[in-house]
Amino acid sequence: MPQYKAPLRDIQFVMNELLDTETHYQQIPGGEEATPDMVNAIIQEGAKFCEQVLSPLNQTGDQQGCTLENGEVKTPTGFKEAYKQYIEGGWPSMTADEELGGQGLPGSLSMVMSEMVGTANWSFGMYPGLSHGCLNTLEAHGSEEQKQTYLPKMISGEWTGTMCLTESHCGSDLGIMRSKAEPNSDGSYSITGEKIFISAGDHDMSDNIIHLVLAKLPDAPKGTKGISVFVVPKFIPDENGNPGERNSVSVGSIEHKMGIHGNATCVLNFDGAKGFLIGEPHKGLSYMFTFMNIARIGTAIQGLGSAELAFQGSLEYAKDRQAMRSLSGAKNPDGPADPIIVHPDVRRMLMTQKALAEGGRAMIYYAAQQADIATRSRDENARKEADELLGFLTPIAKAFLTETGVDAANQGMQILGGHGYISEWGMEQIVRDARIGTIYEGTTGIQALDLLGRKVLMTQGESLKRFTKKVHLFCKEHGDNKQLAEFIEPLAAFNKEWGDLTMKLGSAAMKDREEVGAASYDYLMYSGYGVLAYLWAEMAEVAQRKLEEGTTEEAFYTAKLQTARFYFQRMLPRAKAHADAMVSGADNLMDMQEEHFAF
Amino acid sequence: MAEYKAPLQDMRFLLNEIFDAPGQWASLPGLSESVDPETADAILEEAGKIAAGTLAPINQSGDEQGCQWKDGEVTTPDGFKEAYQTFAEGGWVGLGGDPNYGGMGMPKSLVGQVEEMMQGANMAFGLCPMLTAGACLALHAHGSEELKEKYLPRMYDGTWSGAMDLTEPHAGTDLGIIRTKAKPNDDGSYSISGTKIFITWGEHDMAENIIHLVLAKLPDAPAGPKGISLFLVPKYEVNEDGSLGARNNLSCGSLEEKMGIHGSATCVMNYDDARGFLVGEPNKGLMAMFTMMNYERLGVGIQGVGAAEASYQHALAYARERIQSRSPNGPQAPEKQADPIIVHPDVRRMLLKMKAHTEGSRAFITYVAQWLDQAKFAEDPEAKEKADGMVALLTPVAKAFLTDRALDTCVIGQQVYGGHGYIREWGQEQLVRDTRITQIYEGTNGIQAMDLMGRKVVGNGGKFFELFANDVADYINANQDEPAVAEYIQPLAAALERLSDVTESVIKASDGNPAEIGAAAVDYLDLFGLTAEAFLWVRMVQAAAPRAENDTSGFYTGKLKTARFFFDRILPQSVALAESIRNGGDSMMAFDEAEFG
Repeated sequence: MPQYKAPLRDIQFVMNELLDTETHYQQIPGGEEATPDMVNAIIQEGAKFCEQVLSPLNQTGDQQGCTLENGEVKTPTGFKEAYKQYIEGGWPSMTADEELGGQGLPGSLSMVMSEMVGTANWSFGMYPGLSHGCLNTLEAHGSEEQKQTYLPKMISGEWTGTMCLTESHCGSDLGIMRSKAEPNSDGSYSITGEKIFISAGDHDMSDNIIHLVLAKLPDAPKGTKGISVFVVPKFIPDENGNPGERNSVSVGSIEHKMGIHGNATCVLNFDGAKGFLIGEPHKGLSYMFTFMNIARIGTAIQGLGSAELAFQGSLEYAKDRQAMRSLSGAKNPDGPADPIIVHPDVRRMLMTQKALAEGGRAMIYYAAQQADIATRSRDENARKEADELLGFLTPIAKAFLTETGVDAANQGMQILGGHGYISEWGMEQIVRDARIGTIYEGTTGIQALDLLGRKVLMTQGESLKRFTKKVHLFCKEHGDNKQLAEFIEPLAAFNKEWGDLTMKLGSAAMKDREEVGAASYDYLMYSGYGVLAYLWAEMAEVAQRKLEEGTTEEAFYTAKLQTARFYFQRMLPRAKAHADAMVSGADNLMDMQEEHFAF
Repeated sequence: MAEYKAPLQDMRFLLNEIFDAPGQWASLPGLSESVDPETADAILEEAGKIAAGTLAPINQSGDEQGCQWKDGEVTTPDGFKEAYQTFAEGGWVGLGGDPNYGGMGMPKSLVGQVEEMMQGANMAFGLCPMLTAGACLALHAHGSEELKEKYLPRMYDGTWSGAMDLTEPHAGTDLGIIRTKAKPNDDGSYSISGTKIFITWGEHDMAENIIHLVLAKLPDAPAGPKGISLFLVPKYEVNEDGSLGARNNLSCGSLEEKMGIHGSATCVMNYDDARGFLVGEPNKGLMAMFTMMNYERLGVGIQGVGAAEASYQHALAYARERIQSRSPNGPQAPEKQADPIIVHPDVRRMLLKMKAHTEGSRAFITYVAQWLDQAKFAEDPEAKEKADGMVALLTPVAKAFLTDRALDTCVIGQQVYGGHGYIREWGQEQLVRDTRITQIYEGTNGIQAMDLMGRKVVGNGGKFFELFANDVADYINANQDEPAVAEYIQPLAAALERLSDVTESVIKASDGNPAEIGAAAVDYLDLFGLTAEAFLWVRMVQAAAPRAENDTSGFYTGKLKTARFFFDRILPQSVALAESIRNGGDSMMAFDEAEFG
């Protein structure tokens, strides 16, 4: 298994040189505290923890997996202790409200930590990761009493949370769920039903587990507008706020799955379990959507993390492994063969991973910055604008980065040849773990519908324009810089085509509603390549400027420029195929009769 | 896990309506006596039964149980031994083998279909007969008469199985640097010592004996790939009368823990002065291996097609059954709580991608298999030479393109299932894990691409490529005015032109800058594969169109619609690939090693 090393130089590059996080933090409440020195110290500390504590548990966690013993889930060796250290380090409380015991730091800073945690050990990171969603929902929609009961303990990390949405017959379509909530005389509810695929649904790392459960009240309207959300603690807090009576929620089984073995994916049975309504009846789904964008960006990190870890593992191997001679003459004449990094095709695989990892980092941090503004800015207009931009970027980041993350992980595995297929080397685990990324938190197909249907076409293209305008301004600003022409020109052309294609799809969709679903996947992938092109051009601009100004880090900035070049020459062309496919019309999908799909 | 159903109708369509296989068989003297359409049909039918009835049911349990190693012995998962017995008794191992030694002498175009069913039903199992058939090919081509008579009949009938021992811990792609040694003994045999890794089915309990073909170096061997010899090393020595003798000094040191194909044993094999017999001439071992390489590599491509077909069958069944959300056009199944997901355009996009790849790939396999048959059985030297060139050119494409697309297909098949696709119980994730190896072994897909671009295209100035391009161009010219294919002729011609242009430009660019070969290779192979499939899809349209008019089954109209999907939504990838190739290799080679990070 590759030993994870936090890419601190690149993290700094994106934070400081690309996104000017220092200025950004000065402009948002809570950010004042996050001075560059403090940010640096936090990241260094986090990196150490991820490298030394979490990374070594990644492979053993996969091999051991979670086990169910007497109805309780046991996590792999070391997870419990690592979680204890995680709490002691104050990591769960970074961004939470100070009044509730949090540290009030900007959310974007915790995204950096999430990246490092998730890359070092995704299965582990999911335990605190799931808490976030639960916590945020309670904070936004819970009663004062609920907040006092649950939030401090969840913020400190003593208690963790889950999200119980899926049932065996419904995942993408939550409107048809069956879990029921019967009102009790004391104002609580009795929750009954079976939930599946509940990540971190049970474990032995925290004192209590707080489930957020979607269920239907007896008088609920049909469909998505009849779903309410309840908080259902594993142990019902007593008067002193300590875990009390065991609630009637139990683990039916844990799923045997392709990867993320270190995280328990549970079937949870609620058998008249005591629950408490959050907010108003029937508004559960809309509450869930409150922090959907941020939660999905959190999932998008998995794509970036897979690319980064696979890159680290395969780069080391490519420098070490010797096979064949370079076609342009021996590069390692003293050895029996050359290290495989000399071979162009091995480089192609390395560069693909590098471009996706570094580009993905830029995309995530950029979105996280928008999330900071959307949630914290004092300026209402700025909040609104950032929220819309975030809404546009979220499905792209989630789906595009997890899709390309699987590709990157596969490339890393491929570089190791046969060894890549062997568990010991850890590369195949990265692929298995990464594979869930395109499925949960809304599949790629669902993200694509969200992007094209809800975000772009429903706003008459406004949300796209918000982004393409930024791209346009960037292209204009640097249009005269000949050194950057190789990036600016294709980017400007892409930007224009993006709008044209969107218009075309808009009018097609007016005539035939199937056109949206028929184009959505290709539209999303196309947009992903576009966002990445913009970010790579921005990064190239920074690098080129630094090189021109003179720097002691010439190699670093040269490499940035070269990676940008590789992206534009070798990856961006893929967008063309998506463009052609998306405007080819829905007929080639819809004409086939259902019974003619196979014989 | 859904059941496996052999895609017999599509196989018959390819053999009879696209490629006129019976015509080819009748025209080739080596085949005309062993196979006719009725025999072929009976073979397909039977193979479908054994795949669905015997092999598919132990696919998932085989994955879960895996093979177990204890004190050098390997136990296969429950049911494997019995299935192997049934399989061997049916004569399936020697289906393509030489009748002079007990094989059935069937053409590859037919054997390939049988292999697809076997691999689609159970890839881990399928590897065993596949490896045996490969070992038989090498032995048949290069072994002495004595070796052939002694070993081939028992391998064809499955009593003994075969294994190929090439890789060592430090040497996989680059076999020139292997360390295993062979010392000559007085009696003409050799003593083999060394460690081999990744030996598929190197040890197991299904066959009475295991015949290893081992690459090793003689004491006086020149350095590099030209100093490698091939040896036959049986697990049990074979007495004069054919009975089993002493246990040979080779043993399985351990089994690898791997991502998939858990039902097959991936062995570390230790040779400790094991008695072996030279196959062919000294120092020509690598060449001897290459004899069977074309078949083996096509076989790996076939594994991909089999897995893709299985994944498609499951995904389709699920998409018809699973109800979730309503169609954008209003309820399609109003009596249900939601519509079956097959109504959603994006689910159809996934299914059709799978269907187009799987059927296109099956056509590709059959196309290459026919050239292999012609290369093997043609008597006319010119026809044989052309076939040899086509086989050389198309084999790396069949191996790499089809397995790359197979992985994509299996990943999509998993995606159709949503969260259930990630859960073992449903079987889709196993297909992804199993298929992933096909891009790696028998020469990684990167190596295939180098073989295609470097040796098969640039290496002969595009001579082989011309053969293929002419084949496509002849078709285009002959069918310019054929109304059935009118809408596809132009895009096909454009795709061929794109491929030809790129071919020419890489040949030019690599003159003086060999790095351009490696820089273009993978994209080029992909582009080649897409173009070849476009060609085959047009031919399928041509055959299907006249039948579609009165088609009540939907098979032929379905073909036409799948072709349209391919041209509208898959072929455009070739534009992107061509551009990426034209951008050259500088963006990869300019990097200093240190700059990677």
